[in-house]
Amino acid sequence: MIRKLSIWVSRTTDPYANLAAEEFLTFHVQPDECILFLWQNAHSVVIGRNQNCWKECRVTELERDGGHLVRRLSGGGAVYHDLGNLNFTFCMKKEDSNVIRQMLVILRAAASFGLNAQMTGRNDAAVGGLKFSGNAFYDSHGCYYHHGTLLINVDVTSMSRYLNPSREKLASRGVDSVRSRVVNLSALCPEITVETMKEAMICSASEVYGIPAGPFDEKRFDLEELEHMRERFDSFSWKYGQKIPFTNRIGARFDWGEAELQLKVNRGIVEEALLSSDSMEAACFQDIGPQFTGCRYEAEALAHTLDDILNKRNAPETIRHDLRCMIFEHL
Amino acid sequence: MNFPKELRYSKSHEWVRIEDGIATIGLTDYAQHELGDLVFVNLPEEGDELTAGEALGDVESVKAVSDVYSPVSGTVLQINEELLDHPELINEAPYDAWFVKVGSLTEKEELLDAADYEAFCEEEGKN
Repeated sequence: MIRKLSIWVSRTTDPYANLAAEEFLTFHVQPDECILFLWQNAHSVVIGRNQNCWKECRVTELERDGGHLVRRLSGGGAVYHDLGNLNFTFCMKKEDSNVIRQMLVILRAAASFGLNAQMTGRNDAAVGGLKFSGNAFYDSHGCYYHHGTLLINVDVTSMSRYLNPSREKLASRGVDSVRSRVVNLSALCPEITVETMKEAMICSASEVYGIPAGPFDEKRFDLEELEHMRERFDSFSWKYGQKIPFTNRIGARFDWGEAELQLKVNRGIVEEALLSSDSMEAACFQDIGPQFTGCRYEAEALAHTLDDILNKRNAPETIRHDLRCMIFEHL
Repeated sequence: MNFPKELRYSKSHEWVRIEDGIATIGLTDYAQHELGDLVFVNLPEEGDELTAGEALGDVESVKAVSDVYSPVSGTVLQINEELLDHPELINEAPYDAWFVKVGSLTEKEELLDAADYEAFCEEEGKN
């Protein structure tokens, strides 16, 4: 039974630091305690634990725009975060958890602004059938979290741009995202801002648990452990290097002919590749595939590898340029 | 709910069959029912060392990501690769959908028989 409600409001918008704090709080929560963690990420796409980032997100475009690709511990689908989004996490022991009660905190917070919100779909909260909050769960060794997003005034144009890659030729294991129609809460009620929603969530949690909310004592953080966790969330192996094998075919038609690059990838690394083309410059493309083996599956690395080979083979400048653009466009 | 008599069970809801020094491990019918539709499975690799009580992998359902614990210490001899492409097999036939076969067993958790495990699940269901 929850007897202590501790509130921690993040001071950073670095997504990796926030996920590290979330993990730390989850594994250091006391029995009978609920820690409500409120946080915001700048410009990020956050994917589920077992998703193929390349299938769910325009990674190259996101990162070129200064955004971050983030893989969380919990399952589910991809979501877009910017500073118009408020995230919450309930950290507690598994035996203290109760999804309905935690969802009630969200519904009551919305109700405090006069909105009639409901639980819908898999794990969503919605008003009038439009989703404003997606939720996901994680438990390990008796430690548990329930976290979710709250759309306040998110840039939905960016959201749909980054989360809608056309990847018809990418075949992968992994969990697929489920698309939903969404709504920003500020559009339904102008009084709702990130700040007023934070207050509403804290009040609502206090009411639902029937106990006063107190601040989380930040001396409980172990900075070294936090930094270690942050580094892991920001690492290549965690973000891109999961054991989620996939194949992709990237192709285009140019003035000089057609080209297609076939790739077999696991743990973010190219295992096999084949480049085919009907170009007159056939000599440039001969046996190029094996040279990609071991290359990271990311636009810059692939483009660099390819360009290096073509350069050595004296391929025409247009072909080198076109193929480089093709890779950047399709990853 | 199905609790085959010939199997042994852990309190974290794995089933185990030990034959000729090889432990075959999977998730119980109760576990798959509680988790809901499974959409992804992470398994260890052949040759990995497992420690009793530690996670051997995890499963993602429409509700959550949850660890799957190894009730034994030993070496992974074989993994069920079919589950990687078809996690739904765990929902359909949990006692056929084994996760790993483990050999060189050095340690074993205290395991329940079918009747005790069924009683344990009943108790847990009340909370």
